[in-house]
Amino acid sequence: MIRKLACVSTFALGALLAGCVGGTGGNSSSENGEEGTISFIHWRGEDKAVFDELISKFEEENPSINVDMTIYPSEQYQSTAQTTLRDGSTGDVFTSFPGSQLEIINKAGLFEDLSDEAFIDQYEPQLIESGQADGKQLAVPLQLVFNQPVYNKGIFEELGLEPATNWEDFLALCETLKEAGYTPIAFPGSDIGPGQFMNPMMMNNAPNEDVFDQLMAGEASLTDDWWVETLAQFKELNDKGYLNKDALGTNHSAAISQVASEEAAMLATGSHAMASIKEMNPEIELGLLAPITTTEEEAKWEGIHTTTFMLAVNANSEKKEAAKKFVAFLSETENAEQYANETSQHVTVKDVEYDSEELTSTSEWIDRNTRFQPRFLIPNADVEKAVISSIQSVLGGKSPEEAAKEAQQIVEQNL
Amino acid sequence: MNFRKNKSLFLFLLPGLILYTIFFIVPTVNALIYSFTDWDGISPEFNVVGIENYVQLVTNDSIFLKAFVNNIKFMLFVLIFQTLFSLIFAMFLIKNTKTNIFLRALYFFPTILSSVSVAFIWTFIYDPNMGMLNSVLSTLNLDFLQQNWLGNENIAIYSIAVTQVWFHTGQMLIIFVAGLQAIPKDLYEVADMEGAGRWSRFRFVTWPMIAPSATIVMAYTTIQSFKAFDLIFAMTRGGPNYSTEILATLIYSTAFRSFEFGYASAQSVLFMIVIAVITVIQFRLLRASRVQE
Repeated sequence: MIRKLACVSTFALGALLAGCVGGTGGNSSSENGEEGTISFIHWRGEDKAVFDELISKFEEENPSINVDMTIYPSEQYQSTAQTTLRDGSTGDVFTSFPGSQLEIINKAGLFEDLSDEAFIDQYEPQLIESGQADGKQLAVPLQLVFNQPVYNKGIFEELGLEPATNWEDFLALCETLKEAGYTPIAFPGSDIGPGQFMNPMMMNNAPNEDVFDQLMAGEASLTDDWWVETLAQFKELNDKGYLNKDALGTNHSAAISQVASEEAAMLATGSHAMASIKEMNPEIELGLLAPITTTEEEAKWEGIHTTTFMLAVNANSEKKEAAKKFVAFLSETENAEQYANETSQHVTVKDVEYDSEELTSTSEWIDRNTRFQPRFLIPNADVEKAVISSIQSVLGGKSPEEAAKEAQQIVEQNL
Repeated sequence: MNFRKNKSLFLFLLPGLILYTIFFIVPTVNALIYSFTDWDGISPEFNVVGIENYVQLVTNDSIFLKAFVNNIKFMLFVLIFQTLFSLIFAMFLIKNTKTNIFLRALYFFPTILSSVSVAFIWTFIYDPNMGMLNSVLSTLNLDFLQQNWLGNENIAIYSIAVTQVWFHTGQMLIIFVAGLQAIPKDLYEVADMEGAGRWSRFRFVTWPMIAPSATIVMAYTTIQSFKAFDLIFAMTRGGPNYSTEILATLIYSTAFRSFEFGYASAQSVLFMIVIAVITVIQFRLLRASRVQE
C-alpha cells in the first residue's frame, strides 16, 4: 500500500515540478492511444521539422504503426524522463544523455537490450560505446557533437590567424582578435558555457580520462594542479578581456548572436550551435578549434567529442517490436543522412555523406584525436555542479585556489 | 449546531478531506518516511538509513546552509519591500474612484502572468549587454550604476527579489485595500479630535486595525519567498556559483538531478519546519500589535 501511495505521490510531485519548470511537452504527430501508436520522446525541439518528415516517411512504410512524438525542454527531460518511462505507456522509443542519465535509467532497468539487433551494425562501433553498460548495447547514440569552440573562419583569414597549438599562441591569437576590435570568445556563462568550455580547457591539463573517477574515489582532488591550473587559465582569459563583457550574465542565445553578427570570433560551446549561427547569418564560414592549454609537446588531445542523443527502447513498452522498427528506420544510412544534413549535426551511422559546408569542413574532426566529454564522466550531479560553479566563481573574482578549495569541499561531502 | 445529531453534515467535509489527504497528507507522510531512506526515486528497492540524511544535512552540507542563507536574504528583502510598497500603494488607492480602480487593476496585472513569462521579461531587462535596465542607466549618464544583474553573485539574489516584489506587490495591495476600507471612519474622527498627526493616526489607528491584513500579507509573502522556485529556476537555475540557490531549487536539484530522493525528502522536511517556525514567529509578533477583537 505504502509503495502504491509512494508511486502516486512521486508521480504527482514529478508532474507538479515538471509543470513548474515551464514548457509543456511539445507536439504530437498523431493522437495518443491509437492502436499501433508508439510514443517517441526526446529533448531536441530544433529537430522537430526533420523528425516530422522522417516520421511521415516511416508511417508510409509501416502503415500499421503511428509515431507520437513529444518534445520536452532538455532540462525537464533530464530530470523527469526516468519517471515518465516507468509505466511503459510513454516513451516506447526514448532518448538518453550519456553518463549519469544512462546509468540511472539502466539502474532502473528501463533499457531494452539492443545488443543483438541488426541495426547496431549500421553504426561506427567506436562511436556507440557511450550507449554500452554491463556488456550490453543499451542505446545507440545518433549524434556526434564536438564540444569545443566554433570560430569564424572569415575573421581568422582576415587577420591571418590559424588555430593555436599551444597556450601561449592561443593567448596571442585572442590578443590579435581583441586589438582588431573583435570579442575573442563569446562565453555564455549564465547557462551552458562553463559546462561546455571546461572540457577542452581541462583535456590536456588532466589527460587521464579516469580523472573524475579518481576524484570520486578520493584519489584526486580539485585542489590539484590540473584543476587549479584550468581555473587559472579561465581567469586569465577573463582578466585579459578575451571573454565577452559580463560573461556570467550572458546566455547561449546571446552568445550565438554575438558570433552570428561577427562581433565575436569564437563561441565557447560546440558544434551543436553551428546550425543556429548559420541560420542567423547564412554567409558566415565556421570551423572548430580547441584551446590547447599546455605546450604542443605536452598536449595529448586535440579536441572533445560527445556521442549523444541515444536512441533506446523502453523495456516496459508493450510495443517493443514496433519501437525497434522505428529505431532501425532512423539508423538507416539514408535517413541518418537526412537527419544529419537537415540539422547540421554529425551522426554516428556509417557511410553518411554530408552535404552542408559546415559539416564537410568539420568532418576531419571525426578522425582526429578527440576525447569523450569529461563532464559526462562525472558520476555525481552535485559534484558536476560544484565543478561548474568553481568556474563561475573564478570569473566572479575568486582566486583559482579558493574556488577549487570550495568545490573540493562539496566533492568530499559527496564521497 | 450539534454535529452529533447531524452526522450527515460531515459528508459535506468529505470531498475536501479526501483531496487534502491525497494531495497533502499522503505525500507529506511519504516524504517523512523516505527521509529515513536512501531511495533514489526510481529503483524498486531502498535501504532504511535512520537519521543519517538529517545528520548529513545538519553537519556536512555546505550547499544546504548556503541555500538557507540565500533564502533568508531573499525572504527579508521581499518581505520588507513587498509589504512596504503594497501598503503605501494601498493607502494612496484606498478610495474607489475610477482612476484608483484602474490603477489597482494595473498593479495587479503582473500577478496574473505566469512565472516563466515574468522570468523571461526580467531576464531580458537585466541582460548586461542589451538589457533595458543598463540601457536606461546609460541614457541617463548613470553608467557607473550598470551591473551584471544576474551574473554578479553578490547581487543576483537581490535582482531576483526585485522581480518577485514587482510580481506580487499588486496582489498584496488588494488585501491591504480591503483591510483599510474596513476601518471605521469614526476612529479617525476621534483621532483628529485628539489632535493626532499623520504618523499618530497611522501608528495608533491604521496599523492596529490592519494588523490582521498585515499578518496575512506577511505570512503569505514569507511562504511565497521560500517557494519562489519557478522564478529562480527560470532566471538563473541557482547560479552563478550557488548565489541564487534557495531551498526549493536545491531540493529539486537533489531529487531530479542527483536522484537522491531520500536525501531530498529530508531536505523537504527541514524546509517545512523552517517555514512553519518562521510563520509562527510572525503570527506571534503581529498578534501583539493587533487590536483586541
